[in-house]
Amino acid sequence: MQVLIAGGGRTGAQLAALLVGQNHTVRLVEHRPDILSRIHRELPTEVIHEGDAADPSVLEAAGAREAQVLAACTPDDADNLSLCFFARSQFRVPRTIARVNNPATAWLFNQTFGVDVALNQAEILSSLIEEEMSLGDMMTLLKIRRGRYSLVEEKIPAGAPALGTSIKDLTLPDNCVIAAIIRKGEIVIPRGVTTFEEGDEVLAVVDPEGAAELARLFGFPSARPPTPA
Amino acid sequence: MRYLVIGCGRAGGELAKRLSQSGHEVSVVDQRAEAFENLGPDFRGRTIEGEVLNQHVLRRAGIEKADGVATVTNSDSVNAVVAHAARVIFNVPNVVARNYDPKRRPLFEAFGLQVISSTGWGAQRIEELLYHGEIRTVFSAGNGEVEVYELTIPARWKDRRLGDMLREGVCGVAHTRAGRATLPDPAIILDQGDVVQVSATLEGIEWLRARLEPGEGI
Repeated sequence: MQVLIAGGGRTGAQLAALLVGQNHTVRLVEHRPDILSRIHRELPTEVIHEGDAADPSVLEAAGAREAQVLAACTPDDADNLSLCFFARSQFRVPRTIARVNNPATAWLFNQTFGVDVALNQAEILSSLIEEEMSLGDMMTLLKIRRGRYSLVEEKIPAGAPALGTSIKDLTLPDNCVIAAIIRKGEIVIPRGVTTFEEGDEVLAVVDPEGAAELARLFGFPSARPPTPA
Repeated sequence: MRYLVIGCGRAGGELAKRLSQSGHEVSVVDQRAEAFENLGPDFRGRTIEGEVLNQHVLRRAGIEKADGVATVTNSDSVNAVVAHAARVIFNVPNVVARNYDPKRRPLFEAFGLQVISSTGWGAQRIEELLYHGEIRTVFSAGNGEVEVYELTIPARWKDRRLGDMLREGVCGVAHTRAGRATLPDPAIILDQGDVVQVSATLEGIEWLRARLEPGEGI
């Protein structure tokens, strides 16, 4: 895949290194001298295109017409928005991904500016922190559908409300499915009649409400009920 | 009318002051409070301190009810983005953006925005004045792609036909003799001191300038 990255800061450079490792054709556009001297040590020379990505002629010279994806990762949100709009309207780049630096500007990152996917770092990180706080020992193994669903793991402590109850009697919410139980190192495929034991590790696919209910059923009995979202 | 000015640098401050002096309701937005010093003590409009890409700031400044929005910060991206949002999201009927760096002009064209390239326009005007005092620009259409020029016929062009000044890229606008203007007939025989207005493209006016040079054969 041919990928054009605008902005060689930590995010852009990390992305470029990742994609080069997967044998994609990558061009990273950057003009700030201090950053250029750093990325020249980290990335192959042919990946780096020196110039201001916000200058339309630079974007074209860097191969915007052939790119299948544009990742706008500059530290300036207005630059990221105009880059996506310009790449879509002038160069017909099929997919655009933009970094949101300031959460207050996130409302602009949509099709109005030709942005297919907006990644709001502050929001992603803060929601992860919030989840870690409210769900106690539950561990997120995998994020599905950009974070809407998760595959989670929870170890059942002594005294948890769900102990001794079979799955069919647990009244689990709709968006919560028990995928597997790990008991003494062995996988137990969950059935309606399966009951839970202390020390079981439960794997489940959940949305945020499902996660909260799961934490209530499998958490410490003394834990305060999770506050509803 | 209600106008919103985004950016209170020299251009924004001057614009807001003029709109306010003409009796309009003006709001000016800038992130830096000290920028409002550009407005001077007589400014009677509203000043809003805040991030210009923040929708709450724009709404507080009255973008939903504005008759016109001008984006005149010194960032081309910000000017283009706020102008596009004003037009497409808030349906503001009249939006004008300022182009700061001439290299980035194509960005405004991609958005289909009314754009004023003040840097390029100013440089073009100064260049013209440096070359020729005889030909003056009296009106600019668009961003100077077509301009109306005025010139006073010098002695060396006496008795030539007005048609000799015209060709592709140069159109006659008016011919004035002794304070009386007529539509320009190419057959008119010019006299020293006649004033002629032509509208021309950049290539057209180059040609006319070269033709008016002393020493050009009649």
